[in-house]
Amino acid sequence: MPEPTGVIHDIGYQRYTGPRLGRRHVFGALYLHGLRTVFGLGRSAKAKIFPWLVVGIVTVVAAGLTAVRSQIGQVVMTYAQFADSMSWLVIFFVAVAAPELVSRDLRSGVLPLYFSRPLPRSDYPLAKLLALVTALWLLLGGPQLVMFLGAAFTTDAGMRGVWNELLDLLPGLLYAGLWAVVFASIGLLVASLTGKRAFAAGGIVAVFLMTTPVVGVLSIMPSQTINELALIASPSTLVQGVGLWALGDLLVEAGQNGFQIGGFGPVYAVAAVVLVTACVLLLLVRYRKVATR
Amino acid sequence: MSTVSWITARGLFGRRRFLLLLPLPVLLVLLAVLSRAFGVDPGEWGPPVLVGLGLAVVLPVVALIVGTGVLGAEIDDGTVVHILTKPLPRWQIVLPKLAVATGVTAVTVAVPLYVAGVLADSVGLGLALAAAAAVGALAYSALFVALSLLTRRPVLLGLVYVLIWEGLLANVVSGTKVLSIQQYVIALADRLAPTELLEAGVSVPVAAVMTALISVGFTVLAIDRLRSFSVAGETS
Repeated sequence: MPEPTGVIHDIGYQRYTGPRLGRRHVFGALYLHGLRTVFGLGRSAKAKIFPWLVVGIVTVVAAGLTAVRSQIGQVVMTYAQFADSMSWLVIFFVAVAAPELVSRDLRSGVLPLYFSRPLPRSDYPLAKLLALVTALWLLLGGPQLVMFLGAAFTTDAGMRGVWNELLDLLPGLLYAGLWAVVFASIGLLVASLTGKRAFAAGGIVAVFLMTTPVVGVLSIMPSQTINELALIASPSTLVQGVGLWALGDLLVEAGQNGFQIGGFGPVYAVAAVVLVTACVLLLLVRYRKVATR
Repeated sequence: MSTVSWITARGLFGRRRFLLLLPLPVLLVLLAVLSRAFGVDPGEWGPPVLVGLGLAVVLPVVALIVGTGVLGAEIDDGTVVHILTKPLPRWQIVLPKLAVATGVTAVTVAVPLYVAGVLADSVGLGLALAAAAAVGALAYSALFVALSLLTRRPVLLGLVYVLIWEGLLANVVSGTKVLSIQQYVIALADRLAPTELLEAGVSVPVAAVMTALISVGFTVLAIDRLRSFSVAGETS
């Protein structure tokens, strides 16, 4: 093999002499940009329609619940139940946000530009994932904060009432975090498979919706073990199962029970961890070798 | 088979993403077979599988992916210009595309629904479900083809309709059922083969008239919109 004879000539371009910020700043910039993309900030009005439609609906619902509670004095929904009842909107929000985060970059073929920076392969998907998780958590947590403020200012029990309310809110926020992690990891994985935003959105909704009736069927099988494990079959009910185990009374009030998980609570927690880990690993594998589409 | 429908069909089947359509019907049949094998009472597994999965998820989602794919994908690519510049009346572009979308959706959805219907009750119910699903496929396809001409984000708007209007609102505000294709399909299937499994939310005449109105209306709208279609670059 002949020795390479190429020479790089200095043709007089000005050198960059400023500070080089490195990996952490690239990650931070990607994360912040991702978070802004999800809500359409810094983009045209068209890009804001769908995210803010969802944000508007959940906020209105939370405000309505707060109004009902302060007028009648009856708790319509606990904080955790609020997250559950918004599941369809969360699915829709993921279907809007995840393709915006990853499919656009795939389609316009800018990934080689990203990866020519001091950015490890795994940082790109992780930053996007973190942005989506944050956005979903804000989506569910913000309205809960509205409900908390409404409850805190109308409480009769003084500071003690506010403190009790806060103790109710914190598990609700944790539960919203669980929703966010599970839905974001699945949604981003599906979206990263295609560069077409339309198909990514359809695929995400299909994955979430087609698994829900499986739970319905499994829960009427003539075996109690299958019934109690049925919630594992769908992401949204899996989250509910973990919530039932971890939060218990906060999620289901006494006497009102839709699903039973029996003694399988830890199984649900393990299943959730395995699901999220698998999705993140697959996402990293996907981004080990990808350029376009 | 006209050239337009031929290239539309090839555009649909020639891509890998067509495989995306397969898991949904397979899951439908699988659940029906599973429930039947375990000897569960059809009255219990019928509603979640036939309505909850079949008519509420598989039919609209398949119709959405196919319906926005036949025309929307070409608009996205910009290749729609090639068809628009041919000396064809616009209806000769829209109708074949609508026919292909309806046909593909109807076959993908009606076959598993027929199997599930037979397993749940009788051949009669299977045929009724298949026929109603085919009619529903026409209405959904007309809606989604028109949507892909009205807006740049047809899939998201279609999802708003399927998820929020039909899924969320129809359970809370029962009045919206009058404007829900899913309810028409259920009503029609229930009329063709009355069973305990299906529970119609609207009357049969309303369902029939509205289905016809939606199919014809959105087709006419799509033809009209294509008549004055402006090819714009993608905006963010």
